[in-house]
Amino acid sequence: LSGSVAAAPGGALTTNEFFAGVRDGRLTVQRCTACGALAVPPKLVCPGCEGQHFTQATLSGDGEIASYTVIRVPPSRLAPEAPYVVAVVRMVEGVSLLGRLTGLPVEAARVGAPVRFVAPPAEVDPPVILFRPR
Amino acid sequence: MRRVAVVGLGVTKFGKHERTCAELFAEAAVAALADADLRPRQVEGVYVGNVVGEAGERQLHLGPQVTSALGIPAVAATRFETACASSHAAFRHALFEIGSGAADVLLVGGAERVLTMPTERSTEVFAYASDAVFEQPAGLTFPGVFALIARAHMTKHGTTEEQMAHVAVKNHRHGTLNPKAQFQKEITLEQVMRSARVADPLKLYDCCPFSDGAAAVVLASEKVARRTRKPVWVLGSAQAGDSMCLHDKPDLSRAVATERAALAAYRQAGLGPQDVDVVELHDCFTIAEIVATEGLGLCEPGAGGIAAEKGETSLGGRIPVNVSGGLKAKGHPIGATGAAQVAEIATQLRGEAARRQVEGAEIGLTHTLGGNTATVLVSLFGRTPR
Repeated sequence: LSGSVAAAPGGALTTNEFFAGVRDGRLTVQRCTACGALAVPPKLVCPGCEGQHFTQATLSGDGEIASYTVIRVPPSRLAPEAPYVVAVVRMVEGVSLLGRLTGLPVEAARVGAPVRFVAPPAEVDPPVILFRPR
Repeated sequence: MRRVAVVGLGVTKFGKHERTCAELFAEAAVAALADADLRPRQVEGVYVGNVVGEAGERQLHLGPQVTSALGIPAVAATRFETACASSHAAFRHALFEIGSGAADVLLVGGAERVLTMPTERSTEVFAYASDAVFEQPAGLTFPGVFALIARAHMTKHGTTEEQMAHVAVKNHRHGTLNPKAQFQKEITLEQVMRSARVADPLKLYDCCPFSDGAAAVVLASEKVARRTRKPVWVLGSAQAGDSMCLHDKPDLSRAVATERAALAAYRQAGLGPQDVDVVELHDCFTIAEIVATEGLGLCEPGAGGIAAEKGETSLGGRIPVNVSGGLKAKGHPIGATGAAQVAEIATQLRGEAARRQVEGAEIGLTHTLGGNTATVLVSLFGRTPR
């Protein structure tokens, strides 16, 4: 036998680790060591290159609104919170994240508006990604 | 693969029902078998789409409940779940089973009961088809999913809320021609525009209703089909996927799974979008029809809203879409929708669609979308085999 033995695949971020970071005010994603692509978990295989080795990367938290909606008919458990804004935010690093928009009237959301990630209050369970205008 | 045909069809009225999914499916199945002039005991297998059985009527394992109701409890029966595309996936599975030679007669369809739940509960249960880790906790609903798609389409292509409203007006107009439709009443553009906001920019009349109902079709091999009254031939059938989470889809204004499935189905059939005469597509929300007409190649990218506004997709237009009323007016008993679309196209290609008949229709297409646009099936049908 010749050649080197590849390291066992690994380093993929779990969703529990991701949301533990969200609670602490941190957006941690994974980076494929082969192609460098960033990805939101769970991705045990890189969708770009099939790589299976990952390191972690922390996002700046800054992004802009790619799309948004004002939810006026909510699921039963969120009835007291409606209306609220759900947005898809394109982060400056290139990945996108879906979260709730906070800190502005629901009518004021706009595509392209710059926003910044903020940690949800400790009592929000499961934790929710929040964005504020910046 | 062997040739396969749709040889029988049955659809219940869509709307509110007090009977169980199994009873509704059996009603559709009995009608489909009678239409095919086949007996229940000639059925070799049953595939039934059903999505919210657990929440809607505390029922898992719908398969044998259905065969028991049909007097054929010994027949293999399996429930399929690919969200709103469930019975189209069941249909494709049966297609391959007959195509491979493993069976000659299969019964396929779906059934759903949703109106057992109040709206806020069904809104929550439907959201289970979006991602439970990233999307449900954020409060995303299904109207919300398509509202995000609508906003992206409006931003990229300049699509307007009025253009979306035209889809609703058209499909309600078509619904008046379908005695099985949940809504058989015309609505005006102004009514759509003034209806209550659900998930901006979508309003109540941009959304299909919650519905109970069932649909069934009988599929058969060529040797069985040749002995039936009016076989409608399956020319192609493809399923494609896309990322589960909206945050992993780089362009929300497109439904890439529709594009992928359409390409594969057209290739199988040796056809292109220009060959299609009549289309039943997944208009769970008005924007979904606009995006689907583009993804299926019936319009240029970005031109779906304009096509609806100009009447190109109306009965009598360039390419009639959802002459049954679509999910919007006919209703959307989610697990039954794919099979109901197949039943409508078969009815059209037989020339038996009465007031909503697309004259001379030779080639028909069905398109069913599951969940967050992450599952799509496209099938093509013809009056003659190829």
